[in-house]
Amino acid sequence: MNISVKHFVALVTLLFFALLSKAQDSDAITFEAKLSKDQLGINERLRIDFSMNKDGDNFNPPNFDGFNVVMGPSQSIKSSWVNGVRSYSKTYSYILMPTARGKFTINQATIIIDGKTYKSLTQEVEITAAVERPGEEASADAVADDNLHLVAEVSKSGPYLNEAISVVYKLYVSPSINVSNFRALDNPKYNDFWSQEMPVTKYSVQNGLYEGKSYRYVILKRVVLYPQKTGELEIEPLSLEVTVDVPTNKRDFFGGKVYTSTNITVSAGQRNINVKELPTEGKPENFGGAVGKFNFSVTTTKTQLNASESLQAKVEVSGKGNLKLFQLPELSLPSALEVYEPEFNEGIRTTTEGMEGTVSNNYTIVPSFKGKYPIPGITFSYFDPETEKYRSLNSTEIMVNVIEGPNSGSANTSNPSSYSSQKSVVTASDQFHFIKTRAHLKAITTESFFGSSSFYMWFLLPMLLIPIAIIFGKKREAIGSDLAGRRIKKANKLARKYLSAAKKTLGNKDAFYIALEKALHNYLKAKLKIETSEFSKDKIEELLAQKQIEKGSIQDFISLLKNCELARYSPFSEVQMQEDYNKASEVISQMDKQL
Amino acid sequence: MRKIIFLIITMISFWGVAQNNVIFDEATKSYNAGKYNESIENYKKIIDNGEHSAALYFNLGNAYYKLNKIAPSIYYYEKSLLLDPSDNEVKNNLAFARNMTLDAIEQMPETGFSRIFSSITEFLSFDQWAITAIVFMLLFVLGYIAFYYLSYSSQKRAAFIISIVALIISVFAVLIAYLEFGSYRSEQPAIVFDNEVIVKSEPNSRSQETFRIHEGTKVFVLDTLSDWNKIKLADGKTGWLPTKNIKFLKDF
Repeated sequence: MNISVKHFVALVTLLFFALLSKAQDSDAITFEAKLSKDQLGINERLRIDFSMNKDGDNFNPPNFDGFNVVMGPSQSIKSSWVNGVRSYSKTYSYILMPTARGKFTINQATIIIDGKTYKSLTQEVEITAAVERPGEEASADAVADDNLHLVAEVSKSGPYLNEAISVVYKLYVSPSINVSNFRALDNPKYNDFWSQEMPVTKYSVQNGLYEGKSYRYVILKRVVLYPQKTGELEIEPLSLEVTVDVPTNKRDFFGGKVYTSTNITVSAGQRNINVKELPTEGKPENFGGAVGKFNFSVTTTKTQLNASESLQAKVEVSGKGNLKLFQLPELSLPSALEVYEPEFNEGIRTTTEGMEGTVSNNYTIVPSFKGKYPIPGITFSYFDPETEKYRSLNSTEIMVNVIEGPNSGSANTSNPSSYSSQKSVVTASDQFHFIKTRAHLKAITTESFFGSSSFYMWFLLPMLLIPIAIIFGKKREAIGSDLAGRRIKKANKLARKYLSAAKKTLGNKDAFYIALEKALHNYLKAKLKIETSEFSKDKIEELLAQKQIEKGSIQDFISLLKNCELARYSPFSEVQMQEDYNKASEVISQMDKQL
Repeated sequence: MRKIIFLIITMISFWGVAQNNVIFDEATKSYNAGKYNESIENYKKIIDNGEHSAALYFNLGNAYYKLNKIAPSIYYYEKSLLLDPSDNEVKNNLAFARNMTLDAIEQMPETGFSRIFSSITEFLSFDQWAITAIVFMLLFVLGYIAFYYLSYSSQKRAAFIISIVALIISVFAVLIAYLEFGSYRSEQPAIVFDNEVIVKSEPNSRSQETFRIHEGTKVFVLDTLSDWNKIKLADGKTGWLPTKNIKFLKDF
């Protein structure tokens, strides 16, 4: 109150003087910066005024490095006439709060007055450690700031890709203040995350510790996040506007504390999360991005059935992890089975630890033909972030046996129409055949019979039979057709046999007839098996007659023998000898036929 | 002395044959008793002894089918069909085994003429066609000689017709055998033994995947480059795959 009275007196005095001495020169334009203090504690605030004595444009404040602008700029204009002298002052004020300790320089501010640029001087400020302000009453905002904290609790700051992390937003309120209302200013968007919020239906107040002090807290929001990208990811802050009742030092009539209400904005602060890439080492080929801890199974409702009945095959993954974020491994089934699009089922609960439950694909399978159909085992791989290793689970092979039903037939065309047309043909072989009991074993050879030399021999040699057979036949025919020639040939042969000695001595009378006689006897000896050289001619005649030889031939034979005897005593010409020789050979051949 | 050694050798060789037949019968017995593994062992013993037959491969295929082993089962059925392409029992059981495979590969549709042709050629194996040709050639020769020697004109005519028909059949059989032999030589079928094989566009692991085939699928090998084979499916698709994934049918 003192000050204001002084001011008043001064003002009045000034006014008085101004009125008295009318015009004083006030041409000098000033523009200066003034600090409230040049040394202050880090917990204190600093006021800086930029004042000028003539109105200017385009005020350009410095950037207050090392300070946060708590308030400002605020303008104040002061104009007065004192004794006819006008005094004018315009001030831009900022209230700054230091952010760090040390010496700071507040740079020049500029302004344009009457077309000229004026600059203020730079100012130096020293920020010291916090100072105690015992007597000072804290403002309501400051009190609220100190007693209200919004915290985002992140379960893991370095998760793996696709590993669940939870973010829980808690509002800590110290027992000394009351929160009457709050409103979310900005709901964070979780870019690069797959997020699922667990809505908080009822805000229940719990007690807990924050920085060693006991606080009440409320869970405002719970979110489960699955990072979808590796690297440094940012979780945007959650901002709340909270209406708080702060106690003042004043007391009401009954001695109770008087509360003032204030609105403050709190934010949970930006959190950075470093998402690790899944290790490439030992990564299974069929890894589909599942991270967590799972069980895997493939089951069928039946393993024995008749054709055209249906069965269900279920591929199921259960456990904890990013159940909604990976593909179930596909069932590969024999092409002969009719398979419908799988039906996807999920039963998932989301907790702060992530998703939990089962996902499954249900395949409906209808076999149309009889036989055995293997459902091969499939592999499901996942990454276990706890052990930091990949794991692969295999399902066992399931054999589906279709007992009754049509056979797919030897054609196996999987074409029903062609099948039905073949039905009558293959009904007899409608089952799987038993093994063969006869071996018919052969040596394993790489060479085939076709194309081998033995093949060509067997194939072409029969052809040679034709000319051979023809030549052979021709010859036989020729021999059969020439009878006279044959006779001569026979006679010649006999003559050669018996008369060869005689022929040699032809011309020598004595020797010839001896040889001829001998030959005739030899012939008889060979034919009749009798030594006839000592026999009389009558005896020989009788013997030959007994053998039923023609009379003429016998006569000729006997006369030849007689000639032989006669020739010893009488001369015989060469012509006669030749005649006798021819006669002998004729007789022998004639007799030979009859004997 | 030499005679005795010869006798012993012939006896041993006959004993070997007889032993294989004993093993075969044993395998049949164990198959019937449900001991498929034992029968497979025995059948393989016969093959190791250097003998085989269509029936043997058929039985092996059956035993593997009973053990739910798709690829070996189809492999041995196909082998059996190589030796005897006309056996309907083998075809029937092969159809059962093919039901178990995952791949549905549609056959390239054959045109009318080639269908008739393949149905004729597949009726007998080329060796069987060769024997047929020889038999009919003999018949032709006998008929011709008969024609030459028979005196009555009616008999002569009959002999002539028979011999000419036999000659035509024989030449025809040689032709079929030749064609079948040619296609047999050029074809190199194989069966996929791995669960799943990724067929690539080039013979290296960097190249692009063209398609996938599964256990038991029959492929035709067209080309080979180090450890890779170019294959063709029955529906005409081609690609490269590692040799270790398949097993050639013609390994005897």
